[in-house]
Amino acid sequence: MLEAVQLSKRYASIPAVQDLSFSLRPGMVLGCLGPNGSGKSTTVKMLTGLLEPTRGVVQFEGRNIQDDLHAYRKRLGYVPEEAHLYPYLTGWEYLEMVGTLRGMTDRDIECKVETLLELFSMHPHRHASIGTYSKGMRQRILLIAAIMHNPEIFIFDEPLSGLDVTSALIFKNLVQALGRAGKLVFYCSHVLEVVEKVCSDILILRQGVVIAQDSVENIGQILGESLENTFLHLVDDVDTVRVASDIVDVMRAA
Amino acid sequence: MSLLSPEPIQHWWDYYRRQPFWRLVQLFVARIFRGGGDSDTEGLDLGIGLVLTLLASPGAFVSILLFNKYGSLLQWLRGEHNVDTLLIAFPDEYFFIVLSMTVTGAVAIWRWDAIFPDRRDYMNLVHLPISTRTIFFANLVAVLFLVGLLAFDVNAASCILFPMVVSASQSHFVFFLEFAAVHAIGVVLASVFAFFAVFSILGLLMAILPPRAFRRVSSYVRGVVVIYLVALLCTSFAVPGMLRRAQGPAPLWTFLLPSCWFVGLCQSLRGRAGPVLMQLSGLALPGVAFLIVFSFCLYALGYRRQFVRIAEMADGTGVARNPRKWPWAAALGPLILRTPFQRACFRFVGKTLLRSETHRLVLTATGGLGLVLASQALMNAFTGAKSFRTAMLTPEALSIPYILTFLIIIGLRVVFELPVELRANWIFQLMLDRDRQECEPLARKVIFVLVLPWLLAITFPVYLSVAGILVASLHTLLVVTWATLLTDLLLIRFRKLPFTCTLPVFKQHSIVILISFCFGFLIYAVSTPDFESWALSEPRQMLRLLPVAIVAWYIPRHLARSTISLDRKLIFEDSAMRNFELLRLEE
Repeated sequence: MLEAVQLSKRYASIPAVQDLSFSLRPGMVLGCLGPNGSGKSTTVKMLTGLLEPTRGVVQFEGRNIQDDLHAYRKRLGYVPEEAHLYPYLTGWEYLEMVGTLRGMTDRDIECKVETLLELFSMHPHRHASIGTYSKGMRQRILLIAAIMHNPEIFIFDEPLSGLDVTSALIFKNLVQALGRAGKLVFYCSHVLEVVEKVCSDILILRQGVVIAQDSVENIGQILGESLENTFLHLVDDVDTVRVASDIVDVMRAA
Repeated sequence: MSLLSPEPIQHWWDYYRRQPFWRLVQLFVARIFRGGGDSDTEGLDLGIGLVLTLLASPGAFVSILLFNKYGSLLQWLRGEHNVDTLLIAFPDEYFFIVLSMTVTGAVAIWRWDAIFPDRRDYMNLVHLPISTRTIFFANLVAVLFLVGLLAFDVNAASCILFPMVVSASQSHFVFFLEFAAVHAIGVVLASVFAFFAVFSILGLLMAILPPRAFRRVSSYVRGVVVIYLVALLCTSFAVPGMLRRAQGPAPLWTFLLPSCWFVGLCQSLRGRAGPVLMQLSGLALPGVAFLIVFSFCLYALGYRRQFVRIAEMADGTGVARNPRKWPWAAALGPLILRTPFQRACFRFVGKTLLRSETHRLVLTATGGLGLVLASQALMNAFTGAKSFRTAMLTPEALSIPYILTFLIIIGLRVVFELPVELRANWIFQLMLDRDRQECEPLARKVIFVLVLPWLLAITFPVYLSVAGILVASLHTLLVVTWATLLTDLLLIRFRKLPFTCTLPVFKQHSIVILISFCFGFLIYAVSTPDFESWALSEPRQMLRLLPVAIVAWYIPRHLARSTISLDRKLIFEDSAMRNFELLRLEE
């Protein structure tokens, strides 16, 4: 089980996340929602160990992940929000490097990378440099890099960004399958429909604080609304129809 | 309202800077300085102000250093009377012309990818209501602005300081003015020539090659130009003497060195040119004019072939060739690279060195400098030598592998510090164990793999055939030992994965390091071959080097043992040591 216990993070004296607590059990797909600046990325970075919390701990199987970060990361698959990759490496070379760094054998790397590239329709482009890839292609490389070593914990930060319809559908089904296989999945996204469809539980953040945390069904039942309306109700008190109409008025103005 | 009042000028400036054409010019000027192409530039984005200061500084420093030569009091103290100032200024003027060409050419090479508009410009601009002709002319104006700025910036200091230094012993201000004017004409024209020479090579390649071939060939061409510029700089001390001695029609080699044309022009404007320099001066102005026209034509042709047709070209995500397999590398790899970290990172480092333009350029420059110095050493070795064997056992010939290994090892150590696509290093931050990093052994292995094979494959057989097995073994052993010790010394407290850490900030001891490199070169590549040449006649004398080797071997190991664990952690940010640290007790 992965647990966040009263996590807080401050940048200088500005709080990014405050007293965040949740637990992620095997088989659970926890969706993390929140507007820009709500602390999602900071939370993800603390969960991956890229950032050390100012206060609180992230525990995996009852142990602080900071005690043996290396061992924790071996069991982690992470897809970051932005697809920053080395543009001069080919997709295959990048995956081979990641596999080797993860301690996979050459045969295992070759077998898995070839198959996953094929499944993600990247096989024909595997020897082209990443600099020439589209955003979606880079995203698929990141996804393969995150899953190729069969980790126990998955942290996905906007994983569908740039993916085409087929790849996105495959990925959504993959997330559900991972949940059924007993993996721990933390899924950050802005796309409410996707979170509603693939996640079993939801965590909603606003200004670094958890404002709602429950299963998808319960959150909907409590407020009797769709996830979209629930989210707007909880996070932003904005009349979106009115704002859209105002934008059109500004466009028309001479 | 006064004519010089700032308001009308401000209005005029505001009006023009809002015009689409001038806005585009601004955009292209900024992209030339701040980056272009697909490659990462964040690692070396120094800012326009710092770049201009750095470019101006060589001319200023060299001028100041020359004061010692031209000061009348110092000349009198040295017993130099009735000195012909213009005569002794000739080699220095040639050096300034070469410096101007080298610096300008190097900048043109550095910004090679940013001079022409590329796919990114196409995608951002062509869908806007701007004609491709406007983009063409806007980029051309930006390039012309860049040439003007470079010619001014690179030469400004030398155009004032050098004439001041030279005229220090003269009582007439007119001498200063005349000298400065002629010097300015020479160095500025040399700058313009160097830029347009690189520009025309770029245009030519774009005009005649298909895009993919252009991308592949351009890095090699840039390497050749860098080596040419380094050679030009390194021979600048010898050429003035050769020019002075040249009789009759100008020798063929002078036509290949445009710097000779411009020094000829300066001398002819002062009325001091002999027949050779007079002949060469005739090439300067027509040469510049021809090159400008020629490069504009090629630019137009290249623009039409590459930029206008970008939409018709594939976006490059096509199927690439399968990579070549190296069975010997697969067999040797696990023996040399024992851990998964070393195997993965060795490939990463190798591919970065091969594919990152910035890193390749820095390595080519140091390698080129090494080749030029080695060629000079070889020439000196054979000058006046009685036999091939005697020449090869002179300190100059023995110094060749030392020169090359020193510069390649230093070059590699420097490029390890240059970051590449820093935002992509999250993968290493995520996966590597900071407490058990193996960066030092990895860097050592990269250096050895790039230095030792050719060293053993060339040095040993050459000396085996020339001087027998004993000399060949001793010489090879000494060079390998010295290369190993130098590598060890340079990797003291090295705890970063090459190319993944931020560029180190300028530290107070950076100048000390620079001076240490110069002294190191003297000890490594000058004193050692001197000693070796003497000791090879009595090989037992070589044992005298043993204590030096033991000390050099012991120092890095002692420092490694005394390093605290915090300083052994893998780092991704090389920040300056703070004088005080906030405790942030409120957190």
